[in-house]
Amino acid sequence: MTWTDFPIIAPLVAALLVAVAIIGVDMIAPGRSRPAIAVALVGLGIVAIAIVWTDQLVRTGQASGVAFGGAYTVDPLATYLDLVFVAIVALTVLFGPDYLGARDLPVAEYAAVLVFAMSGAMLIAGSSDLLVLFVALELMVLPGYLLAGFAKHDALSTEGAIKYFLLGSFSSAILLFGLAYIWGITGTTRIDGVAAALASAHGVSPALALGMALLTTGVAFKLAAVPFHYWTPDAYQGSPTPVTGFLSVGPKVGAIAIVLRLFVEALGPVHVDWMPVLAVLAVLTMTLGNLVAVSQTNVKRMLAYSSIAHTGYILVGFAVYANDPSGEGLTAVLFYAVAYAFMNLGAFAVVAALQKRPGVTSQLDTFAGLGRREPLLGLLMTLFLLSLTGIPPTAGFFAKALIILSAVQAGAPILGLAVVLNAIVAAFYYLRVVVYMYMREPQGEPAAVSHGALLRVGLAIAAAMTILIGLLPGPLIDAATTAARSLLPV
Amino acid sequence: MSIPETIPIIGASWDDVLFVLFAAVMLGSALLVVTLRDIIRSGLAMIVCFGSLAGLYVLLGSPILAAAQVLVYIGAISVLVLFAIMLTQTKAGPARLVFQTQWWAAALAAVVLVVIFAAVVAATDWGAVAVRVQSTTDAVARLLFSDYTLPFEAVSVLLLAAVIGGIFLAKRDEVRD
Repeated sequence: MTWTDFPIIAPLVAALLVAVAIIGVDMIAPGRSRPAIAVALVGLGIVAIAIVWTDQLVRTGQASGVAFGGAYTVDPLATYLDLVFVAIVALTVLFGPDYLGARDLPVAEYAAVLVFAMSGAMLIAGSSDLLVLFVALELMVLPGYLLAGFAKHDALSTEGAIKYFLLGSFSSAILLFGLAYIWGITGTTRIDGVAAALASAHGVSPALALGMALLTTGVAFKLAAVPFHYWTPDAYQGSPTPVTGFLSVGPKVGAIAIVLRLFVEALGPVHVDWMPVLAVLAVLTMTLGNLVAVSQTNVKRMLAYSSIAHTGYILVGFAVYANDPSGEGLTAVLFYAVAYAFMNLGAFAVVAALQKRPGVTSQLDTFAGLGRREPLLGLLMTLFLLSLTGIPPTAGFFAKALIILSAVQAGAPILGLAVVLNAIVAAFYYLRVVVYMYMREPQGEPAAVSHGALLRVGLAIAAAMTILIGLLPGPLIDAATTAARSLLPV
Repeated sequence: MSIPETIPIIGASWDDVLFVLFAAVMLGSALLVVTLRDIIRSGLAMIVCFGSLAGLYVLLGSPILAAAQVLVYIGAISVLVLFAIMLTQTKAGPARLVFQTQWWAAALAAVVLVVIFAAVVAATDWGAVAVRVQSTTDAVARLLFSDYTLPFEAVSVLLLAAVIGGIFLAKRDEVRD
């Protein structure tokens, strides 16, 4: 690398320095959560500024946008995804301390590994080399394994973490095997080189088909798409609740970034061969996720299956993008990722707020009477659940609407219909929580609710974004469109 | 005295014979890893498997990879695995492996996969990638510090994150009042 590379990788370097700074502060003031959180939040702000600064340099042509001889690229897509990752991690840091503090879990390590995971996700978003992509993926998911087992004296947490770790490692190996096949066929690891080699080749060789099958399997594991979702409910239910919120959003958006870089960009020339597979996966994923979610009585587990269903909706956008020259499907995917991040993190934060005391489960009964006991918290949960259902004027409505529109425009109305039918099924189990909150009397002593300042700020941001995106979706649609265009052939 | 190009009497080249030898040992020991009932023996069989893979790397003309394989996999990972087994095994714990309840399904899946992979690899024209190159340590180092600097650096960050996580999980909590 040279010094001209520096502005391009400045956000990444900033992210790493923030992670190291959090650990450093913890060494100076061991076990104190406030300095670590302050450093983390200020640091994340600096990372966000660095992302915008780099983006400006690239847009105005003062920097090339390519670093490390073509292994790392900053384009509008990378900027868009980077900012999403920063927002996700910042909210997760806000939601953590109340829950962790009540259980004597350290906040500094929590914040530091979250920032490490974020730097991995940012590296995925900007990677233009298959090897970088793989290492970045590992950097993103490895902190996730640790976070899932963060409550290390809790048997459920450890069990979920081990399942997550073992299946995650297998899926990474499968993905790497697929990457090896792609390298074997094209002879290069650079993503533009792979795309060029595949574009000039005639048809799909058996090895390419096998490579794509391995890649699809690996990515489907990371996305938690059916039938590769078995680790999800246990890992989500066992993890500390703020971590569950992160796991359901961070690595999922990271996996979306992989699909964008790997399938849309590198394997774009052979998209006719993988798109039907994604369409089938999409329908299977949303249907099974929703049907199983209906029968859940634990809200965390229900939200785990609901996150599987949302993966299905997102996959629809990928399955239709190439049939529509404007790339509407990719715009819908990128929009959905943001809307989903805010509403899902918000929903998990409310669950975490209810678990102020260690040992409080996330059974549906815990929510009984919440609407009258804690009107504001009940209202926020209702908002997030309505948004997850897809009811206007929330962010979730436009997210689903864009996905359905893109499917219809691409000539696949059947996929749009599948989304609509699934949204109706999903409304049942989301609204059941609302019914519990407002129409059921609590059994026995109601659970104490935490009112930490950071948690309130985080909930306020998540709720404000959920409403704001729902009322004024224009700017986000524009940003998503610009980001999606950088992937499409001009 | 120089070694003849082909092995006398059999007529096969040294490369081919060594390949068959290493591959057979590797597959045989890999099978032992998954079929042996005693986990320590599985670990020892794994070392043999790693060693024969190092032999294959030498045959493929990549001595640096073979050296790394021996140092990292046999030298570090296998020893760590054996240590981990010895330190975590208790008399109360199951001495036998507990996951071998669906071996027939796994065996069936493995056989099907082998057939698919063999068919695919044989049916594909691998072009330039299939040409054997002698990769020197010098060339590998040059690539590592030019085209592949970023993954190299990213791996070091990955290891840092892993170390922090590993220490957190492994460290004993301080006793609180």
